[in-house]
Amino acid sequence: MLEAIDLTKKFGDFIALKSLNLTIKEGEIFCLLGANGAGKSTTINLFLNFIDATHGKAMINNMDVSKHKETKQLLSYIPENLMLYKNLSGLENLRFFCGLGGGNQSKGELEELLEQSGLQIDFIHKRVSSYSKGMRQKVGIALARARGAKVLLLDEPTSGLDPKASNEFSELLLNMKEKGVTTLMATHDLFRAKDTGTHIGIMKEGMLLEKFESKDVSFQDLEKLYLKHMHN
Amino acid sequence: MKNPVFLIAKKEIQIALRQKLITALAIVIMGLLSVALYAGYIAYTQQQTVVENAQEKSRKEWLEQGDKHPHIAAHYGTFVFKPKTILSLFDFGLDTFTGTSVYLEAHYQHEFMFRPAQDHSSMIRFGELSASLVLQVLIPLLIIFLAFPAFTEERENGTLKLLVSQGVSYTPIIWGKILAYLSILFAIVFPFFALAIILSTGITTSDSIPDPWLRVLFLILIYALYLLIFVSFSVWVSIQSSTGRNALLTLLTCWILFTIIIPKTTANLGESLYPLPSMKIYREAIQKDIRNGLDGKTPKTTREEQLKKKYLQDYKVDSIHKLPLNFEGIRMQVGEDYGNKVYDIHWKRLIKIFDKQNRISSLSSFITPYLSIRNVSMGLTATDLHTSIHFQKTTEKYRRELIRKMNHDMAQNSRYGEFYEYKASKNLWKTVNGFRYKTMPAYKILLLYRIELLSLCCWAILVFFLLGYSSRKIKPVL
Repeated sequence: MLEAIDLTKKFGDFIALKSLNLTIKEGEIFCLLGANGAGKSTTINLFLNFIDATHGKAMINNMDVSKHKETKQLLSYIPENLMLYKNLSGLENLRFFCGLGGGNQSKGELEELLEQSGLQIDFIHKRVSSYSKGMRQKVGIALARARGAKVLLLDEPTSGLDPKASNEFSELLLNMKEKGVTTLMATHDLFRAKDTGTHIGIMKEGMLLEKFESKDVSFQDLEKLYLKHMHN
Repeated sequence: MKNPVFLIAKKEIQIALRQKLITALAIVIMGLLSVALYAGYIAYTQQQTVVENAQEKSRKEWLEQGDKHPHIAAHYGTFVFKPKTILSLFDFGLDTFTGTSVYLEAHYQHEFMFRPAQDHSSMIRFGELSASLVLQVLIPLLIIFLAFPAFTEERENGTLKLLVSQGVSYTPIIWGKILAYLSILFAIVFPFFALAIILSTGITTSDSIPDPWLRVLFLILIYALYLLIFVSFSVWVSIQSSTGRNALLTLLTCWILFTIIIPKTTANLGESLYPLPSMKIYREAIQKDIRNGLDGKTPKTTREEQLKKKYLQDYKVDSIHKLPLNFEGIRMQVGEDYGNKVYDIHWKRLIKIFDKQNRISSLSSFITPYLSIRNVSMGLTATDLHTSIHFQKTTEKYRRELIRKMNHDMAQNSRYGEFYEYKASKNLWKTVNGFRYKTMPAYKILLLYRIELLSLCCWAILVFFLLGYSSRKIKPVL
């Protein structure tokens, strides 16, 4: 579903991502771990075609994202701090973004989606300016569900969320996994990666140093492995 | 799939309507437009009534001046008044600075009198509040506050990433925003344009504009183009700016340059490069040429002597007393014709200087679209210099015809040396038609402002090109 082939990104002399080769199959949740500047967000931005690759290709469903705009119809993106239009309500934001993606859901359907994504009913019609970060992330999940996204690109989505909200978010991801949604998530959170991810990759200085299935490692092993790479 | 341009436009309108600053600015601008149009309407109706009454009175005085010698009637003269046009309630133009009436008599081209600016304080130099001023200067300010965050806020807040990740390209985002801002502006100005259309078509019976409908249509088109240019330019600046603060500062700087500094600088430049002679020098030069002849060698007495000889030869008589017509009438008319010829030469020189000064203003419209809209708007509302010159030409033609009729009657119906004895009556005065003024047709005015129209088109092409180019280069992350 997602494939990086020799994917490289340079900003001047600085190599942000170096020859990344990665395949994520349908229904997998691939967690990219790494410190700041490891190349996690650059990888996500390349899959989103927000930036141009210096070399290599980012593929979604066997289509090069830089050449096929339609790949955007398959994916949904939730950044670290999902920002919505603060003068619009959660429902108005959802309706707007769904409309852009070609969705044609009724008001009732969208309200239901927001509810199912964990947004309190009282807040559905309130302006986003009164939302917490967790509430905004839930609107993001509702958007992904409304659009019927096949791919989720998440850039540190649980960063700054309280444990309850993080847990709710992970449950929503697992729920979407069951429906065959493929996820690429950049995160600092080892626990969340082990808990939610089917696969884990460790990145440092633009390189993918290691990748493995999360079921093959315990949380303690993952922590040791991560720290070993960070200290080297 | 719904059209993303309309979706984005709808969202932008929703957001703008919920912003207090934008709502407040829109209300202020609507208030100013209402006041400006109301004040313009009052000024129009008052001045039109005064002009119509004065013109009627002047005509009555001419017709009822009593029996007198035609040359005395030519000096008794008459007043003509510049009618206020219905469209001037929208754009006062130069009406405040050009005179409203002129006294017509034999031998002299009098100056225009009663300039409204004479009755105002020096603050009038900073411009009167007119609907055109609001549209040309203040609405661009509203546009700046509407459009400066168009892309910077989306980028700073991170919504641009989310927007683009939905698969929307930048072109519909750009045009959606432009459509939204234009819709808001349309909602603000539409009632006023509708009112202008109703007034311009409702009050046409005594108006001097022959084609008000056409002019209103052109006004709507050029103002729409001007606002489109400003909106597109503001959106482009927002695309290019890294922060909202930078975009706002850049746009405010451009606004000051476009609407204040460049127009004032070009006006001063025009006056410095092509100075006008003072009225005293101008008048003295005309009198000198009449006195000494255009070649400087044929003074008035010589020219009159030559005329006398010619007439004696033509009629084969040895004395002007034996001529079958009054030589004094002929001499008067020939003298008048010579004076007119001299006046025309000096007048053309003066107009040439005006044209050169105006050319600088016209060419400067390629630097600021404000000058284009200002000049074309004045032209279409018949409050510009060209209309003023056209009115002066019309009054001068009327004066010449009046004097010609007086001199002709004197030559044909009185005898040489008979001055106080001969008296013409109302029948002669009636041969001089009442003064009626009609402005040039709209197409002629537009031809005079072809440089400004071309510059508006160039501005539109330039901003569309910049937007098209930027839409291919823009990225949601810098």
